Amino acid sequence: MRPSRLDVSQLTCRAGRHTLLQDVNLTLVPGEHVALLGANGAGKTSLLRAILGLLPATSGEIRLDGRLQPRPCPATWPKAMAWIPQRPPRGQVPFRVKDLLAAPSAWAWAQRLGIAPLATRPLTHLSGGELQRVFIARALGQVAAGTGLVLADEPTAALDFEGQDEIGAILTALPVTMLLITHDPAQAARCHRALTMAHGKLRPYASAL
Amino acid sequence: MESSALMPALFDLLCLAPVQRGFVATILTGITLPIVGVAIVALGIYPLRFTMMHVALLGLAIGQLTGTAPTLVAVFLCALTGAGLGATAYRPQDATSAMGFLMPMAIALAFLVLAAAGVHAADAFALLWGSILVASWAEIALVAVVGLGLLVLAIIFRQELSLTLLDPELAWTNGIETRRLSIFLFTGLAVAMAAAVRLTGALLVDAVTILPALTARALATSLPQMALLAMAAGLTGNLVGFALALLLDAPPGPILVLTAGALTLTTHTILKLRRRS
Repeated sequence: MRPSRLDVSQLTCRAGRHTLLQDVNLTLVPGEHVALLGANGAGKTSLLRAILGLLPATSGEIRLDGRLQPRPCPATWPKAMAWIPQRPPRGQVPFRVKDLLAAPSAWAWAQRLGIAPLATRPLTHLSGGELQRVFIARALGQVAAGTGLVLADEPTAALDFEGQDEIGAILTALPVTMLLITHDPAQAARCHRALTMAHGKLRPYASAL
Repeated sequence: MESSALMPALFDLLCLAPVQRGFVATILTGITLPIVGVAIVALGIYPLRFTMMHVALLGLAIGQLTGTAPTLVAVFLCALTGAGLGATAYRPQDATSAMGFLMPMAIALAFLVLAAAGVHAADAFALLWGSILVASWAEIALVAVVGLGLLVLAIIFRQELSLTLLDPELAWTNGIETRRLSIFLFTGLAVAMAAAVRLTGALLVDAVTILPALTARALATSLPQMALLAMAAGLTGNLVGFALALLLDAPPGPILVLTAGALTLTTHTILKLRRRS
């Protein structure tokens, strides 16, 4: 596994008349963990979606290990990233846990995170915390398989205190590059650096970490 | 009719050519079209079926006006509409507004075309109603080709499809070109529904698509299981409905819908009672 380098320069994203991101500059050196804090609607998730290629950039550029994100962005682009979504999907039809964790590396993490007994359960029958663990196991499986960048959007928001500590410690120990959105200053303090977002603009986090 | 006389009576009716064609169409639509319903339920694009009913009706009307095979025009128009919806929708759910626009436009145009073609109101109503007993072999062959084609494609692309049906964005981040897949999905669904409209009628196409899928969703624990159960429910509902329609000498369309509906309702009720106990 080789941690990735991420470069975001002068990134602006607009949706209609709304500016979601404005002139965002961000560099994550290989192995660096950066926490991203900010009020709801500040643009944190939009930044992650733009990096993944889910939100098209109006201007600016995104590079992963020096490779420029193509426009239009193809689906091959985000394959080099592990994404833990803020609201993991449950689907409208039954989709079993084990179908989502079919990769051996993901299944190994499922066992470690205690969700292996849920293997045959549909995602629609899981609690919020269980569902979040499934998607964390999936992302950790991708990391084990060689993915060098983790984009985690409030990955522990639905977990109990114990779970937050457990997953927080696992994520912190990952030898990858990671951009972590959180509202928890303690979780942010575990990262190498913290930034804050307001009105689509990125600033250094003012609080003493 | 006594119960002992029911089976012979059914076999006698099955000797008639229209009944034979209807029987084949019943089996074909029962097996293939519930797959369309599974995709519609999974993507939450329920308005698609109404949109396609309206667009298919416009196609049938244009066919009547121009003297071209109405079903083929309906299929072609629905394919175009499906591809357009798939291409413009970032996520399948985003197509809802476009579908809301298309529905009244298509039906308004259909009425205009029907008026221009001088089609009698009763004949126009027949387009909405349809009947599995008046299907021609060509129409049945069209449903067979479209339905079985969709089934084969669904099996080949099952992994890509299942992740897309769970969440298009998650699928996309896994390297699946969901935008291209959306065009294929919408076109396939649209064509299948248009092909079936002549058999079941525009208003009743739900019986062979959505209702079996809803029955299966209540029972299944995985997507492949849901697809198989939907096909089983579709086939059972269609065969029972078809037999009832023949025995009661009633129009098959509504009987098929009511049978499929009864199956869905019974399944949900039994499951609810079981959960309570």
